[in-house]
Amino acid sequence: MATINFEFADDIKKFGANDFDACFNCGTCTAICDLSDADNSFPRKMIRYTTLGITDEIKTSLDPWLCYYCGDCSTSCPRQADPGNLMMSLRRWLMSKYDWTGLSGLLYRHMSAYIVAFLLIVGGIAGAYLSDVFTQEEWLHYGHIFEMVAIGAIFAVILLPNLIRMWFFTVWKPTKKFNIQHHLKALGDLFLHMFTQKRSLDCEKERRDKIWYYEHLLLVFSYLSLLFTTVFLDWFSTESVYVNVFGYVVSGIIFIVTTDFVIRRIRKRNEKSKFSHPSDWFFVIWLLMMGISAFAVRVLIDTNLLENTFAVYLFHLTVLVQWALIIVPFGKWTHFLYRSFAMYFEKIKSLTAVASKKQ
Amino acid sequence: MKERIGVYICHCGGNISDYVDVAEAQRLMQDEDGVLLAKHVMFACSDATQTEMVNDIKEHNLDAIVVASCSPKLHTHTFRGVADRAGLNKYNYIQVNIREQCSWPHSDKPIDATHKAIGLIRAGIKKAALSEALESTEINATEASLVVGAGIAGMKAAIELARNGNQVYLIEKEARMGGQLRDVGTIFPTNKPGFELIDRLTQEIKSDSRITLFTETEVEKVNGSIGNFSVDVHVRMAGTNTENMTLAVGSILITTGFDHYLPKENEYGFGQSDRIITLPELKKRMSASGGIVTHNGKPVRSLAFVYCVGSRQSKGENKYCSRTCCMSATHTALLLKEKNRDMKILHLYRDIRTYGKMEILYEKSSKQGDIYLKFEEKEPPVVEVNGDNVSVKMKDYLTQKQEIEFQPDLLVLVTGSVPRSDSTDISSKFKIPIGADKFFNEVHPKLKPVETVINGVLIGGSCQGPKNISESVQSSLSAVSKMMSLIKDHRIQLDPVIARVNADACIWCGKCAEVCEFDAIKQVEYNGKQIAEINPATCKGCGICTPICPTDALDIKLFSNAEIESMIDGFMSEVKLSDGQKNEEEKPASGKKPITLKRFPEIWTRIANTMQNGHKTIPEISQELGLDTNTVTWHLMTMNKYYFVESDGMDKKDEYYYYKLKI
Repeated sequence: MATINFEFADDIKKFGANDFDACFNCGTCTAICDLSDADNSFPRKMIRYTTLGITDEIKTSLDPWLCYYCGDCSTSCPRQADPGNLMMSLRRWLMSKYDWTGLSGLLYRHMSAYIVAFLLIVGGIAGAYLSDVFTQEEWLHYGHIFEMVAIGAIFAVILLPNLIRMWFFTVWKPTKKFNIQHHLKALGDLFLHMFTQKRSLDCEKERRDKIWYYEHLLLVFSYLSLLFTTVFLDWFSTESVYVNVFGYVVSGIIFIVTTDFVIRRIRKRNEKSKFSHPSDWFFVIWLLMMGISAFAVRVLIDTNLLENTFAVYLFHLTVLVQWALIIVPFGKWTHFLYRSFAMYFEKIKSLTAVASKKQ
Repeated sequence: MKERIGVYICHCGGNISDYVDVAEAQRLMQDEDGVLLAKHVMFACSDATQTEMVNDIKEHNLDAIVVASCSPKLHTHTFRGVADRAGLNKYNYIQVNIREQCSWPHSDKPIDATHKAIGLIRAGIKKAALSEALESTEINATEASLVVGAGIAGMKAAIELARNGNQVYLIEKEARMGGQLRDVGTIFPTNKPGFELIDRLTQEIKSDSRITLFTETEVEKVNGSIGNFSVDVHVRMAGTNTENMTLAVGSILITTGFDHYLPKENEYGFGQSDRIITLPELKKRMSASGGIVTHNGKPVRSLAFVYCVGSRQSKGENKYCSRTCCMSATHTALLLKEKNRDMKILHLYRDIRTYGKMEILYEKSSKQGDIYLKFEEKEPPVVEVNGDNVSVKMKDYLTQKQEIEFQPDLLVLVTGSVPRSDSTDISSKFKIPIGADKFFNEVHPKLKPVETVINGVLIGGSCQGPKNISESVQSSLSAVSKMMSLIKDHRIQLDPVIARVNADACIWCGKCAEVCEFDAIKQVEYNGKQIAEINPATCKGCGICTPICPTDALDIKLFSNAEIESMIDGFMSEVKLSDGQKNEEEKPASGKKPITLKRFPEIWTRIANTMQNGHKTIPEISQELGLDTNTVTWHLMTMNKYYFVESDGMDKKDEYYYYKLKI
């Protein structure tokens, strides 16, 4: 027996969904979707659960993560109920549910919370600089240390527990089964989907126009490379020409690709970039700023001008800290993680289902 | 006895003549007693043939005509017109139906169809020979009209009748006019309160001197018939003494309206909690509070409508759809949302029937975020009352019947309409019949939608069945136009096909008066004895009185015993077809003689002949005839349909059916 939650329909609107009220459950969206199948039938069912506010069903479902927002459902909807946008909003809502701190929910629901958080970091760094706590060398040094510590800490304290929660909601709760073999066997899918987004190519629309797919792939690899270059190869202090040039290349790519993504979101030509939640804007803009500021900092280091233009470094650092403390743990960045884990969990579930059928 | 009868037998293109041998019929009929001329014509109803008939009647001085063609429902008026134009009394024309009764149903047996057609035409000739010229009578009509019930339908009807120069008596049981509409609140699509309409009409009624209004008045007794009713009413208007009056009117319009269905105790928890109310009650609350809905002083955050309460009960009493409730509920949902922004509204429906322009209500309601939950009669929502809480459990059909539960602050039962509690009383006073749904019944739902079996008594508005406001007004206004045409010139034409008393034979036993549903038979004195008398204004010519009469003193004009008996004689007498026709009827006994199926496609004969020596499968037939199997299958199946052949088991390989001859 599921209880209807009258408030949910209004709540989910804060996560970006607008028009799903108009849905009359014809199921055209599900019929047209290339990814929906008998085992995972969406988006219609998710819209119905949203309308009725049966949140338990949504929380334990992986369906929202199986959608790559090609937008076929929204363009073919006879009621303009925008199922694609609802699926995106459900992903945001799910992220806030997985997050044990509850901060994701706060940030998604209120743009003002985002701005306050950003300003707090700006204030902290400005305050520290103005009170002359560190020398320029120390700023660079501790900046690097911060990166390493932040990555580890955010993962250990926030992301890992959140992933366990996600597993608990989506794998344990509905199946009540734990089979270590299935978990190991499915592991291949985790990395495959994490780095390639292979499943998105099951959408015919994505196959026909692969530019977005390759751009996104390039961005993922460039981002991970830049992370690796700056954190483990210490790009800003390196003597190696190879590392230096590599850093330039990847930060350049990040800048170019994110610029294109921003343009897409402004032009709103396809469904994927039609509706931009504040969290979407923050994600692409901060990534863009990170790429360009990292590039600029290294240029200034190479030309020995950094000493007199230290504000550029401070800007880079501010963007980096905001990214690491806000966007990565509580914002859109977690998409990257949850989606690939969703594929992994889905695989586990299907292995379990096949096994129990055999019995 | 008519002796110069003209007989016209119609081909109807080929509709009749393809199966009935009309030439043979014409040949036989022209020798019948009393027949002066007999013709077969391509289309009896065509202008050319009509003119020919008129000329024949005048030229040959025909005293009766028989037209053998289609159903009398179709062309009775056409040929009565022909008779009229030729100066022949229209009741001296007799229609015989040889299409619907012969050629169409017996297309598989053309010879038998011809036999039957000839029998029927002969019966028609016999009847024509006895037919008499009838003239419709005219009576004076009282100019005044009575309208019973001053809801929106009755009020509007009274105004229109008065505007056309009639004296109108408008009577109302309650103290105020307006009926249900007075309490209904804001109405669609004007979004103005219902009582504004009522107030406007009240002003018009009060300012029109031709309308006499009686409130708190009830009908006691109705006498008389169309043109001259006298209605006894009991008036107990406030402030005056009760008074009995008799109103003399020529026609009566019943617009007594409906009652809201009152849920039974515990139907969806009704009566168990003050959180469970009906839609009319919610509307009353809304009009009283200006639209804001509260419960015990607290705002209502969630409200659920349950549709079809008291309607569409497939096993219960009210099988009909109440028609207005879907619109009313969806419209109320829009009004609720306007004034109660945070209210969540649920619709527990069986089907949404917001027909016509009202579809926009559903559209808007679904787009404002209302939740629609379908249920079926066999799995209705279950309502439980626990203290102050109302909990509803049901299955959501759109998520594979997932069990769901919710606690609405208010549960609103969308109740349908039922006949008024006093409708049987009204029905018996005016003698108007009640239908299976217990509402007043019209004569014909399409062709006589506002007339009752009692001439001069009409029905309008929702006393006839569930109607919305505009439909109620439409029907009462169409009744008004009918009333206007009935009593124009203050004269009423009466149909002459009614009962007739043979004064010599009548012994006044009173049995006829007992069975007459229309109160048309009265006892009168005639030449020193008591006999029955027929009131031509009320008699419908139904004929129920004739078989009950022990002395055969009663007859229906145009359908007298003598006429019917002569028709039977005519039909039963032997039909001798010419030799060629007869041979065809005799089937080849041994089956060896080649078969000819003259009136059917040539290929049927060929197919039939292949089966002379035993059953065949379709491939065998097609091989033998050198035809493709599709063509053979097509024709064989048609032959099968018309019983020329029948299937005869499967072949050895279990692949094809055998077919054998049946003729």
